[in-house]
Amino acid sequence: MPDLIAENIEKQLGTAQVLRGVSFQLQEREILALLGASGSGKTTLLRSVAGLEQPDGGKIEIRGKLVFDASSGFEIPAEQRGLGLVFQSYAIWPHRTVFENVAYGLRLRHTPEAEIKERVNKVLKRLGLDHLADRYAHQLSGGQQQRVALARAMVYNPPVLLLDEPLSNLDAKLREDARAWLREIIKQTGTSALYVTHDQTEALAIADRVLLLDRGLIQEEGAPEKIYGAPTNRFAAEFMGSNNRFEGKLAEIAGQEGRLEGEGWTLWGQMRLAKKVGEAATGFVRVERTRLSEGAGSDRLRVKLNSALYLGERWEYLFHLGDLRIRVWGEERLPEGEYWVLVPRNSLWIF
Amino acid sequence: MAVIGVALVVCGPLGLILYQSFLSEAFFSPTAHLSVEAYRYVLADAGFHSAFGTSLLVSSGMTIISVPLGSLLAFLLARTDLPGKKWLEPWLLVPIFLSPVVLAFGYVVAVGPVGFFSLWIKALIGRVPWNLYSLFGLILIAGLTHVPHAFLYVSSALRSLDPAVEEAARVAGAGVWRIAVTVSLPLVLPSILFSASLIFLLGFELFGLPLVLGDPAGLLVLTTYLYKLTNLLGVPSYHLMAVVALSIVALTFPLVYLQRRMLRTAGRFAVIGGKGQAFRPLPLGAFRWPAVFLLVLWLLVTVVVPLVGVALRSLVSSWGEGVKLTEVLTLDHFRELWGYPNLVRGIVNTLVIGAIGGALSVAFYAIVGLAAHRWQSSWVSFLDYLVMLPRALPGLIVGLAFLWVFLFFKPIAPLRTTLFSLWIAYTVVWLAYGLRLISASLLQVKPELEEAARVTGARQSLIYRDVTLPLIRFGLMGSWLLIFMMFVREYSTGVYLLGPGTEVIGSLIVSLWGTGALDLISALSVIEVALVGLILFIALRLGVSLHA
Repeated sequence: MPDLIAENIEKQLGTAQVLRGVSFQLQEREILALLGASGSGKTTLLRSVAGLEQPDGGKIEIRGKLVFDASSGFEIPAEQRGLGLVFQSYAIWPHRTVFENVAYGLRLRHTPEAEIKERVNKVLKRLGLDHLADRYAHQLSGGQQQRVALARAMVYNPPVLLLDEPLSNLDAKLREDARAWLREIIKQTGTSALYVTHDQTEALAIADRVLLLDRGLIQEEGAPEKIYGAPTNRFAAEFMGSNNRFEGKLAEIAGQEGRLEGEGWTLWGQMRLAKKVGEAATGFVRVERTRLSEGAGSDRLRVKLNSALYLGERWEYLFHLGDLRIRVWGEERLPEGEYWVLVPRNSLWIF
Repeated sequence: MAVIGVALVVCGPLGLILYQSFLSEAFFSPTAHLSVEAYRYVLADAGFHSAFGTSLLVSSGMTIISVPLGSLLAFLLARTDLPGKKWLEPWLLVPIFLSPVVLAFGYVVAVGPVGFFSLWIKALIGRVPWNLYSLFGLILIAGLTHVPHAFLYVSSALRSLDPAVEEAARVAGAGVWRIAVTVSLPLVLPSILFSASLIFLLGFELFGLPLVLGDPAGLLVLTTYLYKLTNLLGVPSYHLMAVVALSIVALTFPLVYLQRRMLRTAGRFAVIGGKGQAFRPLPLGAFRWPAVFLLVLWLLVTVVVPLVGVALRSLVSSWGEGVKLTEVLTLDHFRELWGYPNLVRGIVNTLVIGAIGGALSVAFYAIVGLAAHRWQSSWVSFLDYLVMLPRALPGLIVGLAFLWVFLFFKPIAPLRTTLFSLWIAYTVVWLAYGLRLISASLLQVKPELEEAARVTGARQSLIYRDVTLPLIRFGLMGSWLLIFMMFVREYSTGVYLLGPGTEVIGSLIVSLWGTGALDLISALSVIEVALVGLILFIALRLGVSLHA
């Protein structure tokens, strides 16, 4: 039985249709990332699951128990859903100590005092916070606050852990460490988690499965490798990673492959959408798949170096070919001149 | 529940005034019947016409004086490197916490025809170069004492202005005055207009100043006309008073409504700075000391002169031409007070209603505030409109209305002679102010803190108990201190409710003013100012913000 089922969730905020019928399931022990730009509806979806927003349509079940059904007007309020939520701003209660912040959920559940002590200390110890139990929020660093928020949401073993951009308030360096740590903790606990983020690297690193949201709809769904490496949807192809883009016409189709043609260039790629010869189409290739080549051959274009930017860990070259702009990453400074660029046909997706 | 409570205490009294205005006599008279006689009488009365005209003049005049001066002081304190501004700023707000009737009395004994300063000046130059008892005197003093109201609104708008817009003007070559006139003040124009409409409104509600200062010259404004009407005909002329009260409300209510509209559109101009970043104040240069001089001069005239007058008057046995100050100094007036049981009760009652009544009112405001807090319902906007009403009602009229309520509804009549009647009237008069204090504290509570408790499993009542209330407890304490001060300085609301058991310092001063007992008034005033000063001192020490 899935831990969480959301069916056809719709939500209108003012004049904006924030969610237009989103459905997904969260399996036991699974970490599911809701990825999207701001305004995609991901946070509204999370808050709907938590019970902090009331959707206009749809149905939500937690561990087989109905918590919301728009058609019958049924709703279990947030405080009775028993979920754990980690807020983006952490929302640590400033008038309580770390211990009391974490203990609150257990107190509300009338847990005996001795057990509260034991369970809170256990979770604090696991998150490396045991020495901070008597501190207040303002005496903690950002990373510590984030862990307190996590401890508070986990301590009463919620069926589903909800996380709303939990790492976005951390410094970049800290964030990279926290990614691995957070995934490990959630996996150890064995709870399932719904993880909202706008950072695709974070979503790919932490989640078992990613839902890509745009304008209130799920655009793409699948394992991180599939979302990034083999998108079936044009939005997903363009949204993820850094891409080179080729606007042209379909000149030829052979099985799964098609030949895209533009002014002064032609390239083979994988057909990702049913199209006919002569139709306009767009090809996408991840920048890291586009490479410099020693000489002429198939899947290659003759291009002119326009500029080269030094980015620290690599160089980024910008090539021109008529109206085409092609970015390629490399390791050294390139002298001006003309070069061959390889666009592997297995990596070019045509929509 | 909270909404019903507010509706009851706001609409009940107002409805009763409306009902009374259409009766031919006081509502308890057995021969009273429905009629428009009262309207006909009042609207034809020459005294009413002249009071209306005077009110209009005073309101406009004081607005013209206080708004530019208040805006200028706001700019100086919020935006420039005025020397000593940290130290000066709390003093700027002091007139708000002083009872107008005490201030007016202070002016009488300080710069009236035989006031301390008048006689000292006369000894120096041979004559008194001013006449306090004139329309101009009244307007000037009303204008100067309302400068803080303009200052409050304009300075808080200026503080939220992005300093970059001023820095841009500076870089472009503008001097500090040009920046003030062409950049800063135009950008906060909505707040300036808002404060102007507020002061214009307060002009119609003035009571203490015109009562004391207008009396000798025979000047009546609408409120003092209403007050005199009580004693005019010998029998209670409630129907006429109701009409005058309604005519005041008819003037003030549209102004309150207008302010509401203004507040809604006020956001349009605002250039809000992102992070409240530190900025370098604009250098005043050569104007530094003239600016300080202007501010100190205003403080002298508005605060120091009347208060020194009151204090001196309370310490002399008599005063007049040829009297030497050192020969008449005495503490007798304070001793004398203890001989009057009603005055002693008044002092005790003032403390009780300020401390305990104030706490109860804050509790009531907190309940209403919490009920409206994060509650998505059309009831909230209804509540909003309800709260607007008392803002249009001067304390004098609220007091009168509650007197009638307690006379009209027999089951609660025994409460009239207890402090409860006064407390409920005070609570209504300060409803809008109190709710603003509460919502300002609630605004500090980020919604996630409450949501976190909800998701953790807390019911609404537990969220309030465990999260919201603990987080605003400092704000509630600050609100209590401010309400305490307002209740101590309140004078007009208690005027009609004054009786054995409901005496408070403010209304006692008003009633003593009619008897000319200057010795007792000055002693009572000193006690009231000392009380307010003490609470103000505590509030400032605790860091309570006076910007409400």
